[in-house]
Amino acid sequence: MSSTLPTIFHITESEIDLNDLLAKITLTSTGAAAIFTGMVRGVTSRGDAHETEYLEYEAYVPMAEAKMKQVADEIRAKWPVIEGIAIVQRIGKLYPKTPTVLIACSAAHRDTGVFDAARYGIDRLKEIVPVWKKEISPDGAEWVEGDYIPKPGE
Amino acid sequence: MKRIKLLFFATIRDRVGVKSVELDVADDLTVIGLKDKLSTDYPNLKESMKSVLVAINREFAFDETLVPPNAEIGMFPPVSGG
Repeated sequence: MSSTLPTIFHITESEIDLNDLLAKITLTSTGAAAIFTGMVRGVTSRGDAHETEYLEYEAYVPMAEAKMKQVADEIRAKWPVIEGIAIVQRIGKLYPKTPTVLIACSAAHRDTGVFDAARYGIDRLKEIVPVWKKEISPDGAEWVEGDYIPKPGE
Repeated sequence: MKRIKLLFFATIRDRVGVKSVELDVADDLTVIGLKDKLSTDYPNLKESMKSVLVAINREFAFDETLVPPNAEIGMFPPVSGG
């Protein structure tokens, strides 16, 4: 029953503890976990090539956590075999190589969608979770612009 | 009249200059009406109102939505988390 499956979602100002989150979503029936983590990129080569000194993340925390729960619910609806889900976004001033976000999904086996579920989770977080990052570089400070406009019902 | 609380984030907050504001507004105010009002009250926001996202009580809202009394309204640019 999905009510007993671990579903973790929150905004944090603390260092993301991958090992702890993985342990929390591992059941005795779990055989596979797909973990995505994003980190601050210090040197960007793609597109507008530049260096990043640090990123500053902010969130509309209560709505962000509600939307993170929605992402988890969407994952469960699309991949009912998923056991545990962890979705964590860090905010504050974050330097290159620092993990900023974690999406982890666990399942009994690796071939029933666990990789797709984790990928969906990060792509969806980037669409609807109210978090923003400001890029501080040698050239100054600039908010990174999102490009997704939610539709009614999202 | 109804009281509402606005919360501003990211570039919207930078342009308004404050994190939040409480307003008394007309009972029939909709989201588009609120955007028009803010464009007038805060000229720095006029350009932003074209692409701003609006949340009412932590759900995305759209131009024709009626703003409920005591609503918590979030106003922010398209998100850039992750």
